[in-house]
Amino acid sequence: MDFDFTEEQTLLQDSISKFVQENYDLPTRTKAIKSKTGYSEDHWKQFAELGWLALPFSEEDGGLDGNYVDTLVVSEALGKGLIVEPYFATVILAGTALRVAGNAEQKQKLIGGIIDGTVKATVAYAELQARYELDDVATTATKEGDSFIINGEKSVVINAETADYIIVSARTSGERASSKGISLFIVDAKAEGISRIDYPTIDGGRGSEVTLSNVKVAASDLLGELDEGLAILEEVRDQAILALCAEAVGQMELMYKDTVEYCSQREQFGHALSDFQVLKHRFADMFVETEQCTSLLYRATLEKQIGAPTARRTIHALKYKVGKEGNLLARQAVQSHGGMGVTEELRLGHYFMRLAVIDTIFGNYDYHMDKYCEQMDIPEGGDGEDFGFMM
Amino acid sequence: MDIELSKEDLEFQAEVEAFLDEHLPRGPELWTKRAEWFIALKEKGWDVPNWPVEFGGPGWSATQHFIWDKVTSKHTLPPTIPFGQVMLAPILMGYASKEQQDRFLPDIRDNKVMWCQGYSEPGAGSDLASLKTKAELTDDGKHYIVNGTKIWTTMGHAANWIFCLTRTETTDIKQEGVTFLLFDMKSPGVEVKPIYTLGGSHHVNQVFFTDVKVPVENRVGDEGKGWTYAKGLLQHERKGLAGISRSVYAMEKLKEKACKVPAGDEMLMDTGFKKKIAAAEIDLLALEYTELRTLAEMVNTGSPGHSSSVLKLKGTLMQQTIQELTLEAAGIYGAPFGHKKVGVKFGRAAMEGYLNGRPATIYGGCSEVQRDVIAKRVLGV
Repeated sequence: MDFDFTEEQTLLQDSISKFVQENYDLPTRTKAIKSKTGYSEDHWKQFAELGWLALPFSEEDGGLDGNYVDTLVVSEALGKGLIVEPYFATVILAGTALRVAGNAEQKQKLIGGIIDGTVKATVAYAELQARYELDDVATTATKEGDSFIINGEKSVVINAETADYIIVSARTSGERASSKGISLFIVDAKAEGISRIDYPTIDGGRGSEVTLSNVKVAASDLLGELDEGLAILEEVRDQAILALCAEAVGQMELMYKDTVEYCSQREQFGHALSDFQVLKHRFADMFVETEQCTSLLYRATLEKQIGAPTARRTIHALKYKVGKEGNLLARQAVQSHGGMGVTEELRLGHYFMRLAVIDTIFGNYDYHMDKYCEQMDIPEGGDGEDFGFMM
Repeated sequence: MDIELSKEDLEFQAEVEAFLDEHLPRGPELWTKRAEWFIALKEKGWDVPNWPVEFGGPGWSATQHFIWDKVTSKHTLPPTIPFGQVMLAPILMGYASKEQQDRFLPDIRDNKVMWCQGYSEPGAGSDLASLKTKAELTDDGKHYIVNGTKIWTTMGHAANWIFCLTRTETTDIKQEGVTFLLFDMKSPGVEVKPIYTLGGSHHVNQVFFTDVKVPVENRVGDEGKGWTYAKGLLQHERKGLAGISRSVYAMEKLKEKACKVPAGDEMLMDTGFKKKIAAAEIDLLALEYTELRTLAEMVNTGSPGHSSSVLKLKGTLMQQTIQELTLEAAGIYGAPFGHKKVGVKFGRAAMEGYLNGRPATIYGGCSEVQRDVIAKRVLGV
């Protein structure tokens, strides 16, 4: 039993934080956000050169065979730097879908390019009426000879604007919200019939509403089995939640640290703010909940790593806890900073916005509470007899 | 990073399970056969798991302690009083003379002498160092004369001996001038008055000292240095008070209870109640790993450090949350408090747990003190 990172993982962590320190101050980040693509292509090339994009892929596919803890390390470090490059969309979303469901040909076509930074991709899973449900899919794909014709609208597709490929969920059979009958397709982002409304998201990212009208894809672009796409999406969601929560936990850590530091310097009523017990206790609670979220992140990651049957449920627990406690902590951090907390001058405010967005991706804390309840162990038999608590 | 237990640890776990299977008394035998249990434990070398090897402890690793807690939390063990073995013994081992160790430790180990703790006073609770119970050395230097009062003395009415923080000197720094004394509760001038807590229980007392004569050889360590001796143990005490393995078991039992309550349907089918259970269960999932991380830290550094404050704070809150939800599950049968079993079977126990559970966030350094400790020691403010 051990909770330390390996030497390689520590080196990786250091190299990312060094990159952030040297290249990613807030003005530079803002400049990248305001550029045409919304991020820096140079940075993306560096990510590729440093091997960060290769980590989770198997050696067979040209990757580094990293495990879930490696991805945790990368996501946490990139999150601390508020990185806006399309790492999450390309490596985590599309990368996971390809890793778990891609055939040899599809992997060859895409993964090499993802690793060397020449291919970007994303997954379009959400729809307006579906809220957070992955199985509520109104977009259709109809077989026509050797092709499928896709029609429908996809919501808030992360980094679709710069993606070369969009992996789209579409209904190939069944009713709108039935769990069977969903299929995934690898769609060329420039295919005829695709139109987009692109927009910035509040966390510094980019999103798009993607409309597909009679988009024709080859049968060979079907990712995974026909009608069995939901299981792939759920696996993508699990791995995406681990990455998002690693990011969020790193941001929680910096938010409580920034808060303590700021309040130790700022004086009012002739005292540093940190002299006031009401604030000290708030800091203590912020620290404790960051520790608790870290613990649950480790638990979910390690359960996933060893293939524990409870892993998915623990991932729901994690997204619930990070969504709820992370945003509470963010609000406390802003409150403690006073007016400075609501400016865009400090990184704190940017973490605040990112945490709010993370809660909306793949289901907010309320949604995951429901999911956790569905999967909760209900005792069979047993009369509840026990001995209570003794002092 | 990995959570799998080593082959040796798995073997140890199996050994603990087999030992419990063979020796643990069940049901009414918990009382009638408890002596046999303690003998079996001693023969196995597991009777004082927290003691160092040189004093007869088994020399378990932090992981082995965790395994012991985890396995035993699922059973009812014959009750022991923690004050001797868990709280006083480490102080004696660290600071008492060889003669004192030989005199007191064997009876503590064999549960022959019941100890109580004389720390809190009416004017010194969370601010323990403000204690005023006075100990004055007689002119011949052979005795201390103790005057004052201690409060919240758990099991003081049953204890044979007391370990007591007294003031031998009043200086500007109140942590100085505190002296650690041991004395017989039957000494002339010791008077115990019961304090009845919510629900009518008698666990705690106020103890009064009037010219109690304590031989100077009953002083542990140096005069005036008692605070240092008492303080060293607090981190370990706090970690122990978190009771996380026990909460995992209690949570399981709570769900069983909730399944038995006829609330139209079972309570656990009630979405609102189920969500409260889920929220607590999720916090507990995290807390178990916070404890494991602390253990791993102990393996590396030998001390739980200030994580013990996190565990005490969250662990005691968790105990109370489970008690609150158990009472909620009992519904209208939380009210009947006689000895007749009526309605929902666990109603009375639920209310007792709810009432008796209140002090968990008060003793051992109240939650507010733990937050102060975290702010000061971890966050540096």
